[in-house]
Amino acid sequence: MKRKRVSYAKYGYIFSIPFVVTFLVCTLYPIIYTGVIGFTNLKGSTMAFSDAKFLPSLGQGLWDNFVDTLTAPTFHTALKNTVKMWVVNFVPQITLALILAAWFTNNQKKIKAQGFFKVVFYLPNIITAATIGILFANLFAYPKGVVNDILLQLGFIDSPFNFAISASAAQNSVSFMQFWTWYGNTMIVLIAGILGINPEMYEAAEIDGANGNQQFFYITIPNLKTMLLYTLVTSLIGGMQMFDIPRVFLNGQPQNSTLTASLFIYTQAFSGSYQYNKASAASLIMFVIISVLSAVVFFMLRDKDEIKLHKIIKQQEREYRKKVKLAKQQLLKEGR
Amino acid sequence: MDTEIKVFNRFQPFKVIIYIVCIFLAALSLFPFIIMIVNATRSTPEIQGTAVSLIPSKFLARNYEILVSKDMFDPIKGFINSVIISTGATLCAVYFSSLTAYAIVVYEWKLRRGFFTFIMAVMMIPGVVLSIGFYKMVYAVGLANNYLPLIIPSIAAPAIVFFMRQYMIPALPIEIIQSARIDGAGEFYTFNKIALPILKPAIATQGIMCFVQQWNNLFMPLILLTQKKMYTMPIMVSLLKGDIYKVEYGSVYLGLTLTVLPLFVVYFLLSKYIIAGIAVGSVKG
Amino acid sequence: MKRFIAALLCLAMIIGCLTACSSDEKDGGSGAKTENSGSESGDNGGSVAAPKADEKKVINLWAFTDEVPNMAKRYKELNPSFDYEIKETIIATTDGAYQPALDAALAAGGDDAPDMYCAEAAFILKYSQGDASQYAATYKDLGIDVDKMIADAAISDYSVAIGTRPSDNQVVALGYQATGGCFIYRRSIAKDTWGTDDPSTVQDKIGGGSGSWDKFFAAAEELKAKGYAICSGDGDIWHAVENSSDKGWLVDNKLYIDPKREEFLDLSKKLKDNGYHHDTQDWTEGWFADMKKDGGVLGFFGPAWLINYTLGQNCGSDAEGNNSFGDWAVCNSPIGFFWGGTWVLANKDSKAKNGVAELIKWITLDCSEKGLQYYWANGTLNGEGGTKDSVASGTVMSKSDGKLDFLGGQNMFDYFVPANKYANGKNLTQYDESINSLWRDAVRAYTGGTATRDEAIANFKQTVKDQLGID
Repeated sequence: MKRKRVSYAKYGYIFSIPFVVTFLVCTLYPIIYTGVIGFTNLKGSTMAFSDAKFLPSLGQGLWDNFVDTLTAPTFHTALKNTVKMWVVNFVPQITLALILAAWFTNNQKKIKAQGFFKVVFYLPNIITAATIGILFANLFAYPKGVVNDILLQLGFIDSPFNFAISASAAQNSVSFMQFWTWYGNTMIVLIAGILGINPEMYEAAEIDGANGNQQFFYITIPNLKTMLLYTLVTSLIGGMQMFDIPRVFLNGQPQNSTLTASLFIYTQAFSGSYQYNKASAASLIMFVIISVLSAVVFFMLRDKDEIKLHKIIKQQEREYRKKVKLAKQQLLKEGR
Repeated sequence: MDTEIKVFNRFQPFKVIIYIVCIFLAALSLFPFIIMIVNATRSTPEIQGTAVSLIPSKFLARNYEILVSKDMFDPIKGFINSVIISTGATLCAVYFSSLTAYAIVVYEWKLRRGFFTFIMAVMMIPGVVLSIGFYKMVYAVGLANNYLPLIIPSIAAPAIVFFMRQYMIPALPIEIIQSARIDGAGEFYTFNKIALPILKPAIATQGIMCFVQQWNNLFMPLILLTQKKMYTMPIMVSLLKGDIYKVEYGSVYLGLTLTVLPLFVVYFLLSKYIIAGIAVGSVKG
Repeated sequence: MKRFIAALLCLAMIIGCLTACSSDEKDGGSGAKTENSGSESGDNGGSVAAPKADEKKVINLWAFTDEVPNMAKRYKELNPSFDYEIKETIIATTDGAYQPALDAALAAGGDDAPDMYCAEAAFILKYSQGDASQYAATYKDLGIDVDKMIADAAISDYSVAIGTRPSDNQVVALGYQATGGCFIYRRSIAKDTWGTDDPSTVQDKIGGGSGSWDKFFAAAEELKAKGYAICSGDGDIWHAVENSSDKGWLVDNKLYIDPKREEFLDLSKKLKDNGYHHDTQDWTEGWFADMKKDGGVLGFFGPAWLINYTLGQNCGSDAEGNNSFGDWAVCNSPIGFFWGGTWVLANKDSKAKNGVAELIKWITLDCSEKGLQYYWANGTLNGEGGTKDSVASGTVMSKSDGKLDFLGGQNMFDYFVPANKYANGKNLTQYDESINSLWRDAVRAYTGGTATRDEAIANFKQTVKDQLGID
């Protein structure tokens, strides 16, 4: 029996080859390349990799690029901004998504045109960030722009407001764009989560006289915990890599207020004195930060998923054995 | 369902609020696109005068003329190039990701749990880390101005593998595979002929999302394709925007619209699959 | 699944075809015709050895706008015997993608490498004198008798200085424009404020040529009383400040803030606090809107190209009755400056050197009436009535006509040609594009009141250090 399973196991390896090979060439190699650069003096647009030297051979510390990056105030600013813009985007995003998901799955309220709303709420997500950046840059333009026109006409402001000069306004605009792009996506994930909750629980609650709010807080939220945590952490990982929108919108300005970690790395590598080495070091630092966060995801995802998987595997094994047994018996019968 | 009558009245005013919120959000989602499409029909002076207008003007043809006359924006060529890259990458991504997920779900091999954890880890690698090294590598091996570096990497698409695995566990009963084996089918044949058809809905969902993502991809094509005849739609749009000496807003909006339009068509035709598919797993936001 | 695999195979074939295209075009005719058939300048001095015939008949041309590629195309039309195929690559500078892509392509070499490439004032030094100058071919190596031709064409000194590589003191890049800047103002607003639109009076009012901003601000006060702004945003005077400063951003590889550039903080603040401008940002919609009839802005600072490419394109249309065409004139700026310009370089490893040389010669050095610059100055490159521009060759300028209907019939060369004396390459660095953007941001923070003067400068220095690696 054991021998037989081993013979199939080789297909597991074979079928993984394309993925692994591509990964090695197109992902791992570039990453290692980046990693190595982090310990060298590779700098300048035209310096070839072969001319780069490891820092110790130049009398510098091996970790100098990392130390420099970690002590650079601009990098701190970038990290802070990234977290800040992510939080300002995520809190309303998850709140709204949760409320919408609760509404859409509430079979007492029977919201009509749900399909339409879902499709439209998700729509911004399919459009490239560059397009969104250009669109919003025009909408928020100063002194003449859509948002300013509307605010002036409604009498909220007396003179046009320069969104590009106020740090908080610029950050909030970026957060809003992120929010606008992603809340539909989060909503749909949460709807799926809610639909996965056993309906009998709601029925029982209704018989006990629980109202909508009570049901939401005592049934929906606790049962949605894993899903909410998953959303939180994946969103955090995505948020830590926030790049396109801040870059196209204001490219980190004003006063570095929309500078994110990824944008910081990009600017280091592709402008000024082309500090590939420091950008690589910063990339690796971000990789570590994100990995720590990912570890959290694993930890949380493992609970349910892995246990489920284990069960299935066990069950499969059992059934497999049964089948083999049956087949053997059949063979024996036929042979007889 | 009999409790419905009891609570019906209590919820009525609340329902109005719900609709107001939903309609407001829908408007918020659609507003920028409507402005974009309307502005595509307006002349640059009109747009500079008042940026917001919901009334289409009559400059669509002229904007198109300007757009094409720049000799950089060739919508048909760009469309074909984008289709080649996006389709190629999508086919690679869904086919090989299904294969990889199949390897993880169906076979029991020593490294499979480690492999899966590893795939999850790969998902977390920041894109910027990759881009510097990948770009240097492509130029080093002389594959710039070639579609292959834009298509091949999608063979290793961890997010899709993850999705496919999640989908496969409940949807692909092991019995089917086992009975195929008993019938004497080869493993590869079983995957292609039996597993893939069962996975069709998941493939459709992921295929569409992957296609959209590839279609929107700007950064890598921009630095890897330097010959005009190979440009994709988004590159053409970015060029138009960049030509700062002659800012033609109407044409830029039209360019954006032309890039987005195929996506809209695909999205609205297949929205059911997409909405159904996101639920299982997407990593971003 | 057969269909699936068939589709994949098809795809592979398509890709194969497409990639093959790029390589099968290089072996055209081999009997290269090397003498320049088109230009009649006849200055091809005999002292230069005739180069070898070209190995390929394709010229990869890299640029950041369609300007030079269009010139090359036109040259082909004008000279049917020029049998090179031009493959252009245009990558805009605004996405910051042009330089990395160009650098990579130059470093990679091979048949797809750029044979001829363009660089803008903001980064030309990198390619002519800095990190990437090693890739450039000297004009002499291209078979151009460059010293004699520069003398004959009377090319502006600064254009030559910027394009000269210090390591061997050879010319590797030349421009075709002259980008000395002036003040371009609205006649109607000048008339309304001072009763005349005469350039010499307006120049006197704004302190044109005085070397100081004092009179400019006095004029701004007068205009303000009439409800006008003197300029659209602080970006307008920035170019005058930037390119009139004594030193660039880098001195001995350290960040240096020239006192004139530092003073821009105060100038900008003064403009904003007194409401002398509309507080727009250059290259944004508000800025373009100010170029129209109802713009309410006296004028803009710029070289001749600003008239054709920006003011002319954005002056409004008759259809909406908001057209400022013809309502403009040119006078001297309070502080002389230059702004922008495109330089053309050749790759030292190019296998189509003769073709490249022919094009470069036509674009940068040919001062005959069939040279690019004559067409360019007179707006006749693509037939009568094109846009006119101030060009690098003094010889060409002297026989060209700068009368523009846009300027109400004024001959713009009267002011732009003398303005070229302010142009020099001494205050340029290869990092200008990035540093300028950060400096302008710092100034906006100060004038907008979100940072004190010291904070703005400190933040600027810190960001330049951390992001660009310049102390």
